[in-house]
Amino acid sequence: MTENETSVVMLGPRDRLIGELYIEGNLRVSGTLEGQIEATGDVDVTEAATVKATVTGREVNVSGQVNGAVTASKKLVIGRGGSIVGDVRVPRLIMQDGASLSGNVSMGPKVAAEFAQAAAAEPTPAPVGVAVAVVQSATDGETAQEKAKPKKR
Amino acid sequence: MDTQQAVADAAQHEANEEGVESRRDGSNKITLGPGDSLDGKLNYNGHVTIQGQAQGEFRVTGNFEVGSGATVKALIEGSNVTIKGDVEGMLTARDKLTLGKNAKLSGDVTVKRLQIEDGASLNGHVRMGSFEQSSGS
Repeated sequence: MTENETSVVMLGPRDRLIGELYIEGNLRVSGTLEGQIEATGDVDVTEAATVKATVTGREVNVSGQVNGAVTASKKLVIGRGGSIVGDVRVPRLIMQDGASLSGNVSMGPKVAAEFAQAAAAEPTPAPVGVAVAVVQSATDGETAQEKAKPKKR
Repeated sequence: MDTQQAVADAAQHEANEEGVESRRDGSNKITLGPGDSLDGKLNYNGHVTIQGQAQGEFRVTGNFEVGSGATVKALIEGSNVTIKGDVEGMLTARDKLTLGKNAKLSGDVTVKRLQIEDGASLNGHVRMGSFEQSSGS
């Protein structure tokens, strides 16, 4: 775990993010978020948060409002005051009484296997990015590789 | 003396049993044991617990429970629905649906409240809250 330093990004109750966010680490949202978020670590949506975005993470905890598809590679926990409107894809799902969920739910060993496959196949969808990097590397070497790196999907 | 006491005791027991039965009238109960199976359509005014196998269409006014080890392929409608076994089919819980830790449910679900324990598995569409709209469909 030390090799990918787990950064923690926190968005406070008065913070707002509109756009696309990719984090190698954990994310904790208490504010407003719109767009698309992906974290390699855990995603926490607190009670004060309003999220209108597709959410991807390893372990996702929702205690606030989420409007959008949620994907967790490990598990999803919807807390007492949590609400999700959108499709959910997770291997494990825990839902507390009082939580709300509307959407399609896909889970279980099949989904877990898909995540394992996706993780194994991760390097292969790179060719497009690699090709671009090669072309660009002729002009400026290091920056192109840096550009290509965060675009995992 | 002994016989008289025995008679008196018996009379009391009868009274108690009647009391229990009259209470049961408000909430009847069917339990299918682990070796039992049911295939068909059931409309029932009371609670149903299934520990064996069941197939068909079940609408109950009370609670519907699927025990661990049970297999149910059916349309289910009840007020509180508790699942600990395998269920396949449309499910409606007028109040609350609880998925136990070994529960497997595949099918579309309409509920007012939903609780899922860790280890449970759910595949299908979930509709919550706006219960009145869905009852027409």
